[in-house]
Amino acid sequence: MDFEFSEDQTMIIDSARKFLEKECPKEKVRELKEDEKGYDPDTWNKMVEMGWMGLIFPEEYEGTGMDFFDLMILMEEMGRNLLPGPFFSTVALCSLPILEFGSSDQKKEILPKIAYGEKIWTLALTETSATYEPSGVALQATLDGDYVLEGTKLFVPYANIADYMLVVARTSDKADPKEGITVFIVDAKSPGIKTEVIPTAAHDKQCEVIFDKVKVSKGNILGEPDNGWDIVEFIIQRASVLKSAEMLGGAQTALNMGNDYAKERVQFDKPIGSFQAIQHKLAKMLIDVEGLRFLVYEAAWKTSIGSQSALLNSIVKAKANEVFQRTCLESIKVHGAIGFTEELDLGLFFLRTKASEFALGDTGFHRERIAQELESYKPSFLS
Amino acid sequence: MDFKFGEKEGKLRKEIREFAKKELPPNWLSVMFEEEHRDEDWEFAMSISKKLSEKGWLTMSWPEEYGGKGASLWEQLAYSEEASYWGIPGTTMGVGGVDWVGPSLMMFGTDELKKKHLPLIASGDADGVWCTGYSEPNAGSDFASIRTRAVRDGDEYVINGQKIWTSAAHRSRWCWLAVKTDIDAPKKHKGISVFAVDMKTEGITVRPLLNYVGYHIFNEVFFDDVRVPATNLVGEENRGWYQLMHSLGYERGSVAGRGYGYNKRILDELIMYCRENHLFDEPAIRNGLADLSIEIETQKMLAYETIYKMSKGGVPIYEPSRDKVFNDHILEHMAFIGTGILGGYAQIDPMNRKSRWSKLKGCIENLYWLFPGISLAAGTDEVELNIIGQYGLNLPKSY
Ligand SMILES: Cc1cc2nc3c(=O)[nH]c(=O)nc-3n(C[C@H](O)[C@H](O)[C@H](O)COP(=O)(O)OP(=O)(O)OC[C@H]3O[C@@H](n4cnc5c(N)ncnc54)[C@H](O)[C@@H]3O)c2cc1C
Repeated sequence: MDFEFSEDQTMIIDSARKFLEKECPKEKVRELKEDEKGYDPDTWNKMVEMGWMGLIFPEEYEGTGMDFFDLMILMEEMGRNLLPGPFFSTVALCSLPILEFGSSDQKKEILPKIAYGEKIWTLALTETSATYEPSGVALQATLDGDYVLEGTKLFVPYANIADYMLVVARTSDKADPKEGITVFIVDAKSPGIKTEVIPTAAHDKQCEVIFDKVKVSKGNILGEPDNGWDIVEFIIQRASVLKSAEMLGGAQTALNMGNDYAKERVQFDKPIGSFQAIQHKLAKMLIDVEGLRFLVYEAAWKTSIGSQSALLNSIVKAKANEVFQRTCLESIKVHGAIGFTEELDLGLFFLRTKASEFALGDTGFHRERIAQELESYKPSFLS
Repeated sequence: MDFKFGEKEGKLRKEIREFAKKELPPNWLSVMFEEEHRDEDWEFAMSISKKLSEKGWLTMSWPEEYGGKGASLWEQLAYSEEASYWGIPGTTMGVGGVDWVGPSLMMFGTDELKKKHLPLIASGDADGVWCTGYSEPNAGSDFASIRTRAVRDGDEYVINGQKIWTSAAHRSRWCWLAVKTDIDAPKKHKGISVFAVDMKTEGITVRPLLNYVGYHIFNEVFFDDVRVPATNLVGEENRGWYQLMHSLGYERGSVAGRGYGYNKRILDELIMYCRENHLFDEPAIRNGLADLSIEIETQKMLAYETIYKMSKGGVPIYEPSRDKVFNDHILEHMAFIGTGILGGYAQIDPMNRKSRWSKLKGCIENLYWLFPGISLAAGTDEVELNIIGQYGLNLPKSY
């Protein structure tokens, strides 16, 4: 048992924290909310230099060969600082499944370009039904020499600037909605693709992407045709842990802000933190955030040693959904009216809660998955 | 980071499971506060204490010279977790015998006290059963305000006063008693001393206090000119408070693992009950069980983190409070969800858990009616939240 970071990990944390504080002050976050692209190419290039894009690729794909846990730590730091941009969509949502399921040609072609920051990727999965269930995949891909894609994807992060997309489409209709799904590698500039940014509260550049008879060649399939749900499942498992790490970072910042403010703000001649109603609120937030922290670490650790657990991953995301929201809200209350303003950074965190919750499955979605696992698991008292 | 237990712990867990299967009646499920209530349950618990001692588990964390095994905190954690999961009774030697009386004696006691008491506790002997006398009618959360007094008289101290909520006093041979030895001390926690008091001494009266369900858990204990040899003073006179703060650390290691093991078992029982009764079809029940498993998994990691800090030589201050508040929350939540699942059957009297109407051997009713006691004992949630505020968040004292 060891709850400490390795030296390498401590280095990642320290350098990421310094870098993000400098490169991504909250003025920048505010600016990028209004920016058309929604990210800063300059910062992006520096992230490339730090080796972040290919952090967990093997060297043959120009990566640094670190593991999933290391990537998780990086996500936590990004969450602490609210770094906007297509890192998550490129690295978590696309590079990981390509690394896992891509043919060796695909990997050779795609991954080094991601590592060098040359290409931005995103995942087009959810549709108007706004669900991560396989039944939500309705976009049709019909084989007619090439495949022809027809349909609409919603909440596709950073599709406005993406060079490529993984598009999850239905290639045949089977009784089980998990079957008949195929993941396509699609050039975002292909004729027939129309992208529009959805006005989300977080201004985080989630898009509607319309596919109007978009041609994709047979060679541009990730994995096997009709067996694509395995890939989506893989993405949900990995990315929900990484998203939870990002939310953990955000929750920790929200708690720290409330905690600091409770020591400074004086009312009735005392720091408000000496009022038990405030102090106990903060103490409960601490329990929430520390609980989430070790859950995220446990799930990331299990994944990095190859014994990932779907039950645990869903536990983590469900917990992250609740804790991130609750911590932001409670911290706002601790701040009083200033907490309600545009001026205080806390609002930026709160504005991310709904996007983060939805991403990779909301609480109801993951609770249901937990319940399914419980239905079949064997308690040790029966062993 | 690495969240694996070692081989030693794995082996130990297996042995404990085997022990539970061999020594406990078939389909055994223990519940809170039962062992101190009924004579037959108490005797059974004591017989298990003896067997645990023979295995070397009862006081496994103590050094070998005092009847322990010098087990690591991780072995101790694995043991607490498994023992609770399997419902092994008789693990504590009353209230505090294993967890704090022994360790405190090792730290502060004279050789005479150590030689006398440590073997009794370590061997699971009836004379090694302790109760803990801290609380008084006017000193609960504000423990330093105790008024029971001990006055030196030659080779003896004369004790007068009253303790209350003293759990298992009716089962104990010894009392770990906190008293005032200096009532003029400038600060109230400066005049406190701790004594080992034989419960058979003349002048001690134990009066049962029943809980609303009818369990006999705790007692009032009256001290009327009770004469205790001066050699029974533990450590230094008037330094009792500081000694207690110090030895609290020992108690902390076992609490978190016990809570997790117990909760996990109840959750597992509920899951099986829902499966057998086709209750998984109900969305509210699915959600409830999912929420509980989120919380219990979280509890596990928090508990392990506390132990990790201790294993590195740290003295976790706010973490045990964090773990206690969280455990109390889980108990309450599980009691609500569990009774919801049992529906009408949740009404059965937990004292009659062998009744043919009782489901899951009464463990859910027991939980529902008795969790408030667990959450009050050893520091209320409010008091624990104060500790987290002050030491975990560096906020000013709030009271
Ligand atoms: C089942 C059970 C077993 C027990 N066993 C033992 C035992 O073996 N030995 C022993 O010595 N004692 C024992 N106790 C007593 C226990 O330690 C006390 O009940 C506990 O410390 C609280 O004290 P109190 O009951 O006097 O409540 P009070 O201290 O009077 O508290 C009443 C309420 O006020 C709140 N409160 C008090 N102070 C503060 C504050 N500073 N800030 C915010 N809120 C506050 C409390 O949280 C609580 O809600 C046991 C109790 C129970 C329920």
